[in-house]
Amino acid sequence: MKFRTIRTLTSQAIKSLKRTTSLTTVLVIVACVLALSVFTLIAVNLTVMGQRMQAGVELRVYLKDDTTEALKNALEKSIRSISGVTKVVYVSKAEALERLGAQLGDENAFFFDDMPNNPLPASFDVSVRRADAASDIADRIRKMQGVDEIRYGPELVRNLVGALRVMWVITGAVAVLVLVGASMIVSNTIKLSVFARRREIEIMRLVGASDVFILFPFVVEGLLMGILGAGIASAIVFVAYWAVSDWVRAAAPFLQIVVDSEWLLRAALGVVAFGAVVGIVGSAMSVRKHLRVQG
Amino acid sequence: MYGVTKVYPGDVVALAGVDLSVEKGDFVFIVGQSGAGKSTLLSLIYRGATPTKGQVLVGGRNVIRLKRREVAVFRRKIGVVYQDFKLLPERSVYENVAFALEVIEAPQKEIARKVSAALDMVGLSHKANSLPGQLAGGEQQRVAIARAIVNDPLIVVADEPTGNLDPDTSAGIMALLSDINCRGTTVIMATHNQLIVDRMRKRVVEMENGRVVRDERQGMYCHEV
Ligand SMILES: Nc1ncnc2c1ncn2[C@@H]1O[C@H](COP(=O)(O)OP(=O)(O)OP(=O)(O)O)[C@@H](O)[C@H]1O
Ligand SMILES: [Mg+2]
Repeated sequence: MKFRTIRTLTSQAIKSLKRTTSLTTVLVIVACVLALSVFTLIAVNLTVMGQRMQAGVELRVYLKDDTTEALKNALEKSIRSISGVTKVVYVSKAEALERLGAQLGDENAFFFDDMPNNPLPASFDVSVRRADAASDIADRIRKMQGVDEIRYGPELVRNLVGALRVMWVITGAVAVLVLVGASMIVSNTIKLSVFARRREIEIMRLVGASDVFILFPFVVEGLLMGILGAGIASAIVFVAYWAVSDWVRAAAPFLQIVVDSEWLLRAALGVVAFGAVVGIVGSAMSVRKHLRVQG
Repeated sequence: MYGVTKVYPGDVVALAGVDLSVEKGDFVFIVGQSGAGKSTLLSLIYRGATPTKGQVLVGGRNVIRLKRREVAVFRRKIGVVYQDFKLLPERSVYENVAFALEVIEAPQKEIARKVSAALDMVGLSHKANSLPGQLAGGEQQRVAIARAIVNDPLIVVADEPTGNLDPDTSAGIMALLSDINCRGTTVIMATHNQLIVDRMRKRVVEMENGRVVRDERQGMYCHEV
């Protein structure tokens, strides 16, 4: 295609874009992308928070008091051999007592002075790579000989894993919905554009214009709709997110919101690319169909 | 075309085994009652449709086998004229004719040259800047013909080009098509206009219910008695 042609066809697309229906479509895309962005940002933040918490997940495997040295060594070996286990540290009865003492502080140390013998059990501190695998690993360890009891991670962490999964599923569903919905809206709007120019298209086909030539302005129009809609939405999200994250940092610093401007910028570009895909898919859908019907 | 059959969805048989051969430079009338299949026959020539059965050869090429992209290029060598002109109302006469060249990305200079030549040919150079709505029916059809011939087609296919025009204006259009034919362009025209056919004394192909029932070298609209 010649440069002159591309220029003419593009200006045609822009002219067509200025119609009210096209602008409405852009606004609808803005709304759709905003919704998707909110879901994605929440999901990303929860995930990052989750990862921070998961990094500290440990199983504490308490041993029976009568466990022999040999059994202890065998147990340690079998725990190490479980995949997903990253670290196994033995904590003897004495060490456990020391640790508790340290936690309680000097003022309370007297509490232990009267004790005839150490009531705390020895244990293995087992680190696992992924929090969501913790309960499976715990089940396996529980069956081993010499194990008395297992405690692991705060309840919150386990719930978070489940919640995260749900969050991502919802985000994925919203993404698919937005992709399909927005594409359909673009497709419909382009259909109107095609309809408005159906006589021209008919003549173009009769005199032998190529498909590319006929398609081009409509695809450009769809592309512009997608980019414009997603771009506006990204800009809004970008600004709003800065404001919200400032506010959260002040009000609830422990939440540690993700504010990496480079990451945000890349996400925004991704969203615009997403809009471009929506626009192209949407317009191509309706124009291809039109051409096919007309033979 | 050989053994061409066209069945539209709904089992409408528009053409039933048509054999027809047109020499380069011929002038052919296709006549017959409404629904006989004239328009369908013409649309097969410019590949506006494909036959259900049979082959269509144009300029030695099998039109049916053309790929999408080739169809577009193929149509550039065929001019089509309709009863309803099919002009773009918001474009000037000049722009309407130039449109046919612009959408196939012809060079600017060539467009200017060919459009003036075509408007000269149809005698409308002085109305180049008028809008179609400001022209009489016959003039509009001339613009449509200018558009059909602007790219020097091998064949001009005309489907009832005089259908909306009065007899005098029709005669003018026929003279024009004759001129175009004289320059070596094949003209295939479907019509109901008995007067025109009888006066021109060209080849006449009569159709009935999707079949060719008569084919005369220098025919009349009806059988000669
Ligand atoms: N697109 C179509 N879909 C279904 N049937 C069609 C279509 N086009 C034409 N037909 C049918 O095919 C038959 C032939 O139609 P065609 O238009 O070729 O006739 P025609 O000779 O050109 O008639 P007219 O003189 O009225 O223009 C008719 O019965 C018509 O109803
Ligand atoms: Mg017809």
